[in-house]
Amino acid sequence: MIMKDSERTEYFDRNAIEISKKYKGKILTLPKVPITGLEDFSSLYTPGIAAVSKKIEADKELAYELTGKWNSVAILTDGTRVLGIGNVGPEAAIPVMEGKALLFNYLGGVNAIPMPLVVKNNDEFIATAKAIQPYFGGYNLEDIQSPRCFFLLESLQKSMEIPVWHDDQLGTASIILAGAINALKLVNKKKEDAKIVFNGAGAANIAAIYLFEAAGFRKENIIAIDSKGIIEPERADIDALMFKNPWKYKIALETNGERVQGEPANAFKGADLVVSASISIPGTIKNEWVESMNRDAIIFALANPLPEIWPGEAKNSGAKIVATGRGDFPNQINNSMVFPGVFRGVLDARSKGVNFQIMVAASQAIADFVENPTEDHIVPSMEDFDLFPRVASVVARKCVESGLARKSDSTEGFYRTASDIITKNRNIYNKLFDM
Amino acid sequence: MIGLVNIRLMEKKDIDGVMEQLLRLKHLNEEFDPLLKVSIGNEKEISEKLGRIIDDRENHIGLVAEDGKRLVGMIMSDVIFRIYYDPKYEARIREFYVIPEYRGKGVGMKLLEKLRELASERNIKMITAEFPSLNLLASKFYESIDFKELIKIYSKIN
Repeated sequence: MIMKDSERTEYFDRNAIEISKKYKGKILTLPKVPITGLEDFSSLYTPGIAAVSKKIEADKELAYELTGKWNSVAILTDGTRVLGIGNVGPEAAIPVMEGKALLFNYLGGVNAIPMPLVVKNNDEFIATAKAIQPYFGGYNLEDIQSPRCFFLLESLQKSMEIPVWHDDQLGTASIILAGAINALKLVNKKKEDAKIVFNGAGAANIAAIYLFEAAGFRKENIIAIDSKGIIEPERADIDALMFKNPWKYKIALETNGERVQGEPANAFKGADLVVSASISIPGTIKNEWVESMNRDAIIFALANPLPEIWPGEAKNSGAKIVATGRGDFPNQINNSMVFPGVFRGVLDARSKGVNFQIMVAASQAIADFVENPTEDHIVPSMEDFDLFPRVASVVARKCVESGLARKSDSTEGFYRTASDIITKNRNIYNKLFDM
Repeated sequence: MIGLVNIRLMEKKDIDGVMEQLLRLKHLNEEFDPLLKVSIGNEKEISEKLGRIIDDRENHIGLVAEDGKRLVGMIMSDVIFRIYYDPKYEARIREFYVIPEYRGKGVGMKLLEKLRELASERNIKMITAEFPSLNLLASKFYESIDFKELIKIYSKIN
């Protein structure tokens, strides 16, 4: 299986380089208004267009009505933590951001623009993000190292009048929650009682812990583990976390009600669900640990490309439901199920922000999309195209209910809008490539 | 889980607990500057020094915070005679620590308040505090209760 995987990986690598050489970039700015001749530019551009500018000058919010702002998202990165390859810098981040822009467009009908930044520190990042804001209805932060990503997300969410999202935190956390909702439902366990272990304390798992709390899970029942073992307030390095990573520090204080200490094995004992975003080596999660879990154990082994335990091994050790980050096993926990719908939703509501309550609603909508969940089918797949407008409509409606929306509609109304935009976008795409 | 926190004078029986907290504090300081690197294996000397400090109530005021039998914080200050200045005496806080779970719950304020009370009974009218320059949370804490920066210490290893 490992051999097969490495062959496949080599094939994708080769193909990616060939495509990049051939197309020299993956996205293109195309006109969306008909142009019959140069005389049209008297209205599309000067002199006529000044009248539009004057309208917006009088009321800035009209930029949403009269320009492409309503559907434009900037993908901001400093290139400090690109995929699994690390701090490669903003230029090397471009191919990844272009790919992300493509997904935004293909699945969510969103015009996403790659925006890698040369910035020396957090303040420069924030100042730049604020400076380029006018054209954008939302920001997606991408591939930024932890804990910087927490700081940037928190600062920008507080200070901007548009939704700011960090996909590696929030997107992944949302799909983890969606998977957990259906998995727990399948084994008849209540979220209030579920004992959950988060193995690995990177951006996604830290965000997931906060999201699970917002969804009604009990913090005391959650145990987080990092490379140094179980996180609890008496651990000697916790003081320094207060300065270096206050988000993780808060988790150290508020979770783990029983104050379990030491090796991961101690946390697994009696756990109902383990969400692992740890080292990509099978065997990182040991069979005995799974055996020591509660009955009907659920394991999310999300490390890529290789999961922390092979699904077969986990099942042999007593796990009832297993999810991974890979598409070639059942139950792929993939943030691409989340961000296209979430962005379609916040954009359609012209939202001023996004928060954990909106994300909980998104996760619930993703979970509900799977009508009859089974052990091998707890989350939708990328082929479920109707997922995106459905999530979008729930998100948009939640923005309205949270008082963040600039534009109001019913869930059904938002669904029609989202579905219409995504379908039209896909039709354009099909025409472009004669499909 | 967190009960009523009591503040009292530091005693000899507290030495082990206080030392543990002091080492945590010093390891935290280590994060701010390599010149604050903690030396290893000095527990015996530290314990003896703490014993002397606790005995010398004339020149030191040490307090602990406890929840039941559990030591949850401590403050240690030196009484300094200010020969050139008025007021004549100051209590300088050299060690101040509250364990993570008890932070943000007023334990530090209670320790500081009790120190101020005991100092004022002895006519010590000024409280100062020293901590690493880069400990911005400490600066913020003291500034929030109207302390201001007074003296800077610069350093260089020869």
